[in-house]
Amino acid sequence: MHVWNFAPVWANADLLALGLLNTLKVTGAALAFGIPLGLVLALMRLSPSRLLAWPAVAVIEVFRTTPPLVQLFWFFFALPILLKVEMTPYVAAVLTFSIQSAAFFAEVFRGGIVSVERGQWEAARALGMAPRQVMRRVVLPQAVKRMIPAFLERAIELMKTTTLVAIISYADLLFQTNEVAQKTFRPLEVFTVTALIYFFVIFAASTVVRGVERRLAVSGEGMAR
Amino acid sequence: MAAAYRWNFAPVFENADVLWAGAIGTLRLFAICVVLGFGFGLVVGLGRHAKSRWIYLPATAFVEFFRNTPVLVQILWFYYALPILLPFEISPLTAAALGISLNSAAFSAEIFRGGIESIDRSQAEAARALGMTAAQAMRRVVLPQALRRMVPALTNRGIEIFKMTTLASAVAYVELLQQGKLLASLNFNPIETYTVIAIVFFLCLLPMVQATYALERRLGRADA
Repeated sequence: MHVWNFAPVWANADLLALGLLNTLKVTGAALAFGIPLGLVLALMRLSPSRLLAWPAVAVIEVFRTTPPLVQLFWFFFALPILLKVEMTPYVAAVLTFSIQSAAFFAEVFRGGIVSVERGQWEAARALGMAPRQVMRRVVLPQAVKRMIPAFLERAIELMKTTTLVAIISYADLLFQTNEVAQKTFRPLEVFTVTALIYFFVIFAASTVVRGVERRLAVSGEGMAR
Repeated sequence: MAAAYRWNFAPVFENADVLWAGAIGTLRLFAICVVLGFGFGLVVGLGRHAKSRWIYLPATAFVEFFRNTPVLVQILWFYYALPILLPFEISPLTAAALGISLNSAAFSAEIFRGGIESIDRSQAEAARALGMTAAQAMRRVVLPQALRRMVPALTNRGIEIFKMTTLASAVAYVELLQQGKLLASLNFNPIETYTVIAIVFFLCLLPMVQATYALERRLGRADA
C-alpha cells in the first residue's frame, strides 16, 4: 500500500508556481496574437476577392485539421532550418498556438459577423457609410458581443493545449511537474497536485464563462457559435 | 540571403514502412478511444440525465473533472502516477487509451445528454403511456431520434480524438508522430519528415471534416 506524502511537493512549490506563471504567459501571448490574427483571417475569408479569401481558407482549414502537436514540432524542428534562424521553445509555442487559435477564432468571428442581419448592412450603407465603416461601427460591435462565450471557451481550450509545450522542453506547469517528480521520486503526489491545479484554474474560468453565457442569453445576444 | 533549402523527400519515402507501422498504431489507438470514449460517454450522459442523486452527482463530477483538465496531464498521470497505486505496470498504449478515452467520454457525455434533452419530453411520456418501461422508452423512442441530431457533434469529437492520438508520443507509444520523430533524428531531415506527417494527418482528417460540414448542413435543413 502506497503511503501518500505531499511534503516533497510543497517543498518544490516555487518550481510549480513558476511553471504555472509560464503556462499563463504562453496562453496570454497566444491570445494577444491569435485574436487580432483571427479577425484578419475572418475578414479575408468573407471578402469578395478570391485572392484574399482562398489563402485565409487554406490557413484556417490546415490549422484546424492537423494535430496541434504536429504543428508545434514543425515550427520547432523544421521552420528554424528552413529560415536559418534560432528558435526557442517559447517562440515556437507562441507562434504555433497563435496561428492555431487564430484559425479557430476566425471561424468564431465569421459566425458572429454573418449572424448580424443583412438589413443592418444595407441600412448603414444607405446612410452613406463605407463598407469599412459599416463593419467597424455597426456589425463588429454587435457581433463581438455575441461571440464572447465562444471566445472564452476557445481561450480555455488554448490553455489546455499549451501543455504540449512541455514536450519541447518549455518550462510550463507540466514540464516543471515532470522535473519535480523526477527529483523527488514522488510522481503520484506531484502529478495529482498538478492535475488539481489545472482543474481549479480551468474550472474557475469555465464557471465564469457559464455565468457570462447566462447573462448574454437573458439579454438575447448569446447565439453565435 | 543564404542559399534556399533544398528539399529532399527521398529518405522519407525510403522509410515508408516505419511510417506505416506508426499509422497502424495511430489507427489502433483511435479505434480503441472512439469505442471506449463514446461507449462510456453514453453511460455517463445517461447518468447526467438520471433523477437519482447517487448517479447524477458522480457522473457530473466525472464530466467536470475530465473536461477541465488537459488531456496530456491525464495521460501522464496514468503513465507515471497510477502504476504506483497498482501492483502492475501500465503500458504506453494503456496510459494513452485511458487518458484519451476518459477525456472523450466526458465531452461526449455532454453531447449525449444534450441530444437526449433535445427530444420533447412528451415523447418519453407517450412511450411510457403505451406501457414501455423507462429503459425501453429511452432505447426505442428517445435515443434513435437523439442520435441522429448528435451525429455532427460526435463526428467532431471523433476528429478531436484523432488529433489527440499524437499526444501518445509523449509516452513513446508507437504512432505516426512518434515514428516521425524517430525518422527525423535518424536522417537529420525534420523538415521533410514533419511536413509529410502533417500532410498525412491533413489528408486523413479532411474527408472527416468535410463530411461533418455536409452533415451539419443537411441536419440544419431537415430540422429548420
